[in-house]
Amino acid sequence: MFADYRFGYLEQVRYGLGFVTTPVYWVADTPTRVSSWVDDVFVSRTDLLVENERLREELLVAQRELQLLESLASENSRLLELREATEVVEGEVVPAEIINVSPDPLSRRVLINKGASDGVFVGQALLDANGLMGQVIEVLPFTSWVLLITDASHVTPVQVNRNGERALARGSRGNVSMLELEFVTQTQDMQAGDLLVSSGMGQVYPKNYPVAKIASVRRDPGREFATVIAQPLAEMARTRHVMLVFESEETLIPALETLDKPATRKISPPQEAHNRP
Amino acid sequence: MVIRQRAHAIWVIFLSFFLAYLLAIVPFPEWAMDYRPEWVPMVLIYWAMALPYRVGIGSAWCAGLLLDILEGTVLGLHAMGLVIIAYLTLSLHLRLRMFSFPQQAGMVLALIGINLMLTHWLRHLTNQTVSSDLMFLMAALTSAVIWPSLFQLLRQVRRGFDVH
Repeated sequence: MFADYRFGYLEQVRYGLGFVTTPVYWVADTPTRVSSWVDDVFVSRTDLLVENERLREELLVAQRELQLLESLASENSRLLELREATEVVEGEVVPAEIINVSPDPLSRRVLINKGASDGVFVGQALLDANGLMGQVIEVLPFTSWVLLITDASHVTPVQVNRNGERALARGSRGNVSMLELEFVTQTQDMQAGDLLVSSGMGQVYPKNYPVAKIASVRRDPGREFATVIAQPLAEMARTRHVMLVFESEETLIPALETLDKPATRKISPPQEAHNRP
Repeated sequence: MVIRQRAHAIWVIFLSFFLAYLLAIVPFPEWAMDYRPEWVPMVLIYWAMALPYRVGIGSAWCAGLLLDILEGTVLGLHAMGLVIIAYLTLSLHLRLRMFSFPQQAGMVLALIGINLMLTHWLRHLTNQTVSSDLMFLMAALTSAVIWPSLFQLLRQVRRGFDVH
């Protein structure tokens, strides 16, 4: 146990035993799969028509928003070019399904049906349709464990969308799945209803994904920090369909180049000066 | 001289453990998470009590390792808990067989309570949980409550398939 915790010698053992335990998950997940199959098969024609209509409307709305987004993205990249910053390219997403939740009542983890065979890696971000959900902490052959952002030991770097104030969102202790913002000073500008997006600091999560909405801000003058509670946007307990973010190579390489740039710029002028005479 | 008999129908033991694993990881509603009975330790207690020459500390260790992988905990956490349960059950099995149901349930409460406290403590050491209260011990109580029915069920199964 000590070896596993401290050194990770047993990664291979865990990985191997993962093959043995896969059937258990598969059977445990059967009721849900059967019920969704039954839902698919025994559904009335009118229901299908109604659902089809609704989905078409949603698609239309989504396409309109996408068009708006594209114009905004191009405008944004122009502005960023003006500031000589890199363009933030969004990575690819791969759909996955949550097949189990952690049986331990004190930790918030879920199991997804994508594992090493699908290219999942530790530290990968997981999203649902509404916002950020968590990160992959352990990869097994066909499944992976994901630590949710509401786990008490998990901290997400966020910023307020309205004004860019940065904060750290920790999962709340106890049985409520909320987030608490840590170390928010009394004078920082945060209001109930503000949207929190991931700030990309800590280099685990991609930037600018919606994370939570501030539910309440309590400023007690007797305390050093304000108590800010936020409600995560992702549907932690209800959703089954999630997305894994694969950041493509192109997004990573320019980022590294820009990291090097300032250094090379500083070094190059003296070298040129040295070569000239 | 006791001649060691050949094992008979021990697949029943594997099947019962498999079902216990299923029940241990089936998703529960949020409010009931603390009350989920500890199925694997209970099945282990039964087999260690009924067939101490088949199910012992070694099988407890293997069963615990599998449970660790299933729950995604540090490898060896449940293995250690189950080994301690198996040891205590083996040393008490003759007495446990003589006990009435309420007495047996009391012993199960104690054994599973020890297991829960130990694994909880180890989880703290390895930073896997941040606890707020002692609600996690409720699982021992629910386990003790359903023990008599589980015991009778497993005894019927053992006699029906003549597992030894």
